[in-house]
Amino acid sequence: MNLIKKLASGNEALAIGAYKGNARFASGYPGTPSSEILDYFKQFKQVRAQWASNEKAGFEAALGASIAGVRSFVTMKHVGLNVAADPLMTSAYTGINAGFVVVTADDPGMHSSQNEQDNRFYAKFANIPMIEPGDSFEAAGFMQYAFIVSEKFDLPVMVRLTTRISHSLGLIKYDPRPLDNEKELCIEKDFKKYVMIPANAIKKHKSILEKLEQLKDFSNETPINKIEKGDLNVGVITNGISYSYAKEIIPDANFFKVGFSYPLPVRKIKEFAKDFDKVVVIEETEPFMEEILKSEGLNVEGKKYFPRDGELNLDIVEDGLKKFGALKEKKRVYFEEFELPKRPPALCPGCPHRPIFDILHSMKDVFITGDIGCYTLGSLPPLSAMHTTVCMGASISMGVGVSKVQDKERVVSIIGDSTFFHTGIQPLIDAYVNKANMTVIILDNRITAMTGGQPDASSGFNLNNDDFEPVNIASLAKTIGIKNVFEIDQYDYKNTKHILEREIYKEELSVIVAKRPCVLAPKKIKDTPFVVTDKCIGCKRCLRIACPAIDFKDNRAIIDETICTGCAICEQVCPVEEAIIKKSEE
Amino acid sequence: MNIDSILFAGVGGDGIITASNVAAEAFILAGFDVKKSEIHGMSQRGGSVSASVRFGEKVYSPTDKLGSVSFVIATEKIEALRCVKYLHKDSIMIINDRIMPIINQEINEAEIDAMIKSINIQTIHIDNFLEFAKKLNNEKVINTIMLGVLANYLPIDNKYFHKAIENIIPSKIKAVNIAAFNEGLSIGK
Repeated sequence: MNLIKKLASGNEALAIGAYKGNARFASGYPGTPSSEILDYFKQFKQVRAQWASNEKAGFEAALGASIAGVRSFVTMKHVGLNVAADPLMTSAYTGINAGFVVVTADDPGMHSSQNEQDNRFYAKFANIPMIEPGDSFEAAGFMQYAFIVSEKFDLPVMVRLTTRISHSLGLIKYDPRPLDNEKELCIEKDFKKYVMIPANAIKKHKSILEKLEQLKDFSNETPINKIEKGDLNVGVITNGISYSYAKEIIPDANFFKVGFSYPLPVRKIKEFAKDFDKVVVIEETEPFMEEILKSEGLNVEGKKYFPRDGELNLDIVEDGLKKFGALKEKKRVYFEEFELPKRPPALCPGCPHRPIFDILHSMKDVFITGDIGCYTLGSLPPLSAMHTTVCMGASISMGVGVSKVQDKERVVSIIGDSTFFHTGIQPLIDAYVNKANMTVIILDNRITAMTGGQPDASSGFNLNNDDFEPVNIASLAKTIGIKNVFEIDQYDYKNTKHILEREIYKEELSVIVAKRPCVLAPKKIKDTPFVVTDKCIGCKRCLRIACPAIDFKDNRAIIDETICTGCAICEQVCPVEEAIIKKSEE
Repeated sequence: MNIDSILFAGVGGDGIITASNVAAEAFILAGFDVKKSEIHGMSQRGGSVSASVRFGEKVYSPTDKLGSVSFVIATEKIEALRCVKYLHKDSIMIINDRIMPIINQEINEAEIDAMIKSINIQTIHIDNFLEFAKKLNNEKVINTIMLGVLANYLPIDNKYFHKAIENIIPSKIKAVNIAAFNEGLSIGK
């Protein structure tokens, strides 16, 4: 048997584990830090991986595949599960046919998210098992195991990664051959099991509660809840990435490492804890385990010593263990930080979103509801042209509300193509039905850019590189019944400005579809760069478009030719003729 | 054996991730356990990028502890300065002599240089590595040159880096990366 040994990210390891666990169908919606899982999974033979328009649709596709007899899983970031919460809650009632796993990648520290919610609560809410790997090695093994647990209990199983696990690399060793399926499965027609009318659901709720009791026993026995003995009279109960910090800081403590975190192995933890004078729970974000253990009468401490917000790390865990009294106070020696300018992210050179925000920035009586994507960067100075960002799809629907209760400010909603397909279409229908007086700008760059360039309904190709006729957003808006629908090319600054100003001041609903493609994906776009001539008067107008290619030195602008894509927006906003010109090709 | 770490810092497009992958592979080939973390949420959009390669007999945490990183490769001076809290007095830093502008902020270059001078560690090797890369006709190998410079101080044989480049770098640019690594080795001697 040839074992493969390699350095893999948690996301890659999880995809390998899924394949080895015999999963053959996967769906999901891209979201940091989960986005790479399906890209890794699709590389295996005889599997089908596909992007869905949103997490709910992806969840339901994978559930359907399970009922059809194929092991399947769905991937999403933590907030994606809010969108998929509807099928999650009821799939616990129906149960599954072939193993079905729900992968949630949470983002403590909010590296790329709008909130820091802890999705372990969803497992408790839905009464389904929760499995938590702590590194790449475990991500592969635990994912494979999750399918077995799913079939054993006839339930969806949640597997939770966090950013540090998804995007850290560790050594994994594995036998590349997949498991044999224990039983042959085929599509299942079972009215009482899969049709959740009240008569069936009433019985199902009782059976879930029975399964929960069985799961509690299982959690006490599963080898992924394990005890590691040490010499110190200190007990540490921990999970996921928190374990790796604690193990490095206090290696001689006794560890209870929780890999199966819902239901918690309460009996086994009670036996573990009784031997020690001091027992501490170390977990990132919410006191999920601590509260359950306290309610079971255990004398443990946790959030008294560790923060409830942000990521943990080696230093925070060390500080907490000092306060808890498990480590001696010792002064930490390190260099003081310098005060340095931050390097905020910006729209790429050539980004087609830039002119839209530059134009909106100059309009003072507009209220701009924004959405989730690269274009959220349009909220930052100097563009500063966005007044709300809440969740996927909220731009148009919030704009409808704003437009219905006031008329001092013109209402503009900005949304990208992928986000529009995710949860923007229904709000656009609402805007039409409720006669909202607003302008919807759809930034149709033909790709899900923020998360690394995954294809969407506007791309014309899917995750498997099959071609299709792209969904035409302007036609869709017209089909809904909207009269004012316009397509624009944002690189034509003057015409873009003209159409924006005309539509925004119309007392009607308008839809503007901005058609320039992303400069990064699916292929990098770079045309002849522009240069600044002696005619530059140093007025800094071009700096206001926040292009990373433009800097200012010795009283005049300079353009970094290596990153300028030649979009010509700076040239079009420049008030001086021939101060910015296209570089002559020799 | 204790855990030590190489911290890579730079901005989007610097090739930080590839260089750190080469270093991680080299340490694995040399028989170490390795964990690697990356922060690159917004890197393609000009933000800071960093990666840590932590090596030892058994490594748990993928991220570093304050005052405990011995080796730093920084492809930009401001990003180099962001790393100081992780250094200790015996640390070694390899810094590319370059400042990447930040949108709508004026940077006082003299002040940045003064800050770098004030870092009180064993070795700071600062050089304009772009010039060496140009000599090799590939401006993208700056990272590999810097890795070569650092390799003079690292506890593993250079053959593991050569093999790591073989394993990781696409075949078209393998040779120039080997040359860049060797160039770095001699610059750092």
